Amino acid sequence: MTTNNENSAGGSTPREFDLIVIGSGPSGQKAAVQAAKAKKTVALVERDRVLGGACVHRGTIPSKTLRENALRVRHMRQNAELSNFVLAEDIEMATLIDRLDDVLAAHDAYMQRQIERNGIERVHGRASFVDNEHLSIEKVRGEPEILKAKKIIIATGSLPRTPDNIPVDHEHIFDSDSILSMLYLPRSLTVLGGGVIASEYASIFQALGVKVTMIDRYPRPLGFLDADLTDKFVHNFESSGGTWMGNKNVTRVEWDGLTYVITECDDGTVVKSEKLLCAAGRLANVNDLKIENAGLTLNERGLIPVNDELCTDVSNIYASGDVIGPPSLASASMEQGRRASCNALGITVGDMNQLIPSGIYGIPELSSVGLNEQQAKEKYGDIIVGKALFEEIARGQISGLQDGMLKLVCDGEGRKVLGVMVVGEGATELVHIGQMALLANADVDIFVESIFNFPTFAEAYRVAALAVIGQRSAASNAF
Amino acid sequence: MSSSNSSLSANATAITPHLENLLKSGELSVPMLPEVAGRVVGLSQDPDSDASQLSQLIQGDQSLAGHVMRIANSAAYSPNGSMVSLQQAITRLGMNLISDIALAASISTKMFDAPGFEDHVSHTWQHALTTALWSKEIARVCRRNVEATFLCGLLHSIGRPVVLQAIIEISRDKGLPLSHEDALALEDSYQREVGASVAEKWDMPKIVCEAIRFFDDYENAPIARDQTCMVNGGAQFARHMLMPEALDLETLIRLPVLADLNLYQDEVSRLLEMKEAIASTREAMSA
Repeated sequence: MTTNNENSAGGSTPREFDLIVIGSGPSGQKAAVQAAKAKKTVALVERDRVLGGACVHRGTIPSKTLRENALRVRHMRQNAELSNFVLAEDIEMATLIDRLDDVLAAHDAYMQRQIERNGIERVHGRASFVDNEHLSIEKVRGEPEILKAKKIIIATGSLPRTPDNIPVDHEHIFDSDSILSMLYLPRSLTVLGGGVIASEYASIFQALGVKVTMIDRYPRPLGFLDADLTDKFVHNFESSGGTWMGNKNVTRVEWDGLTYVITECDDGTVVKSEKLLCAAGRLANVNDLKIENAGLTLNERGLIPVNDELCTDVSNIYASGDVIGPPSLASASMEQGRRASCNALGITVGDMNQLIPSGIYGIPELSSVGLNEQQAKEKYGDIIVGKALFEEIARGQISGLQDGMLKLVCDGEGRKVLGVMVVGEGATELVHIGQMALLANADVDIFVESIFNFPTFAEAYRVAALAVIGQRSAASNAF
Repeated sequence: MSSSNSSLSANATAITPHLENLLKSGELSVPMLPEVAGRVVGLSQDPDSDASQLSQLIQGDQSLAGHVMRIANSAAYSPNGSMVSLQQAITRLGMNLISDIALAASISTKMFDAPGFEDHVSHTWQHALTTALWSKEIARVCRRNVEATFLCGLLHSIGRPVVLQAIIEISRDKGLPLSHEDALALEDSYQREVGASVAEKWDMPKIVCEAIRFFDDYENAPIARDQTCMVNGGAQFARHMLMPEALDLETLIRLPVLADLNLYQDEVSRLLEMKEAIASTREAMSA
């Protein structure tokens, strides 16, 4: 798809813009809109036919749509006796992500309108650097063209990493970009990895009735999260029929040519499953960019290094989003894109707040902001922790969503909130209350002194805060 | 359909109402190659045969694959009738049952009987399998479903043998001799409509039905635009591979369907590098 004013300059004078953004994912899109709002001429280069990048078309949005339907299925199963419901055995994936087309169409239309409204030139093609100010755009239709800009932002996102011993064929052995191309639910699925993507898909497919086995070299999944949260996650996953295998190194994966994918581990463990998902992390998507022509190199982690202003080693080129590495969250990428654009154009922006919540859309949901218990102990020594189990919260009992927990980590005096962790339904929303308290540098007492709606899961803040205050009082009474 | 095709002979024109009647009444059947049916029977009776041999035979033959999918998706085997690929059928039902199904289909299905058209029939079969294999590779590059795209590619021209067999029989029964050219023209005119009609009657997955019906108009396929586009692309690669004189490389790489698939030049080149691998897979599957 090309816009009407997109023309081919071939070898003639390049089309010139104030800013060119490569990649139309969350980061690139925000970068382009920010520059356009600053009255700059902007080109947004996207290699796919549609805007949005992997986040919209292969990752975040499709997987969350599947998750929503997995939750519906789980609720239906829980209420099976009431409604005499039996899930069709060979349910099609297409049915489970039935709303995806509508969601994507709405998203695409919104992005198109935003791009058009802001006068951004959309260029359908694949960019590669000629030098630090010129890009060659290869097209699927027509001749290539050269674009020029004084400032360029790289926001090309990431690609799945495929270890050498995992023969991903997108047929029996998938990666995180192809897993949702499955048109039916397999009976069994092996998930390699223990990170966010692996945990999300493993728990979603398990909730859909697929027999899932997670295999990872680390002892627990989501190792960056608080141990209490991951314990809950593993317990929930295993109690719904999944199998977690930690501390295992996969040595070989092979399709047997007829029925199963065979996974072999170095301790002799062999797992057979109908399909396999390899979720072994993601790498910066720079394969076609020829960054060396612009004087750029990748760091030892295969990422584009940037400074605090998101500027690369080449002063007119900025980078944002997954291509620069963690936190690799759509939320952070959007803000990075906006900031990269401002910095490139000399627009003053304040410091980016480093307090970024992480959200894992597994089943159950997990979210965290600030320091976890272990990190807080390492940094502050004595700390006080308060927990609230959802089974103790009226809303949890009413809605039947009792398998959850909220945890507040406070300093040794039991006043300053250092971190908030939530596992259970609504965790990714609920954590924002704690985030605001952290940003306001509020005492934990704010959760007791403030009135929340009742019954809501927000009551968990009050319960956890009271637990902290109780320990604080007990400690002071001891003297 | 081209019942008004003025280039047809009088006999061919006279045959079209009979063909259309069969189409309307749903009485068209998908014939099977006698040698394929014979191999199924042979394999199922051979205690030393490997399950993968039969699996390969089924996946390599459009008529057998169609019949197996039809039976596997029937109420007797799949009450929900939602299987979308041969691999899924094999995994769900197991090779023993699939073997029984293939045997039943081989025994009960009308055998292809088209004297004088042997080369053409052989080419149709080869093209269907080659299209399936190329479509599968395109699906891999595009990160779309590989299994289902293979089935769509394999069945995209299922209407051809149906039409050819039907018009030969009508010609014979009604005493309306047909020239070779007339037969092929009729086959060409009706194969898409007939193929889609058969697939729909058999309750084939919607994506398969659309890949047949919207093959030449994939942008308007309601739910399977991408799958249909990939099958169309796969068919072009297959044509180039089997008949390079009819579709040379230069023309192939400039076809609009490749741009519609969003394939860049290097991706097309990497696909073309698979030519030998696809040729050897095809030979193995049709051996």
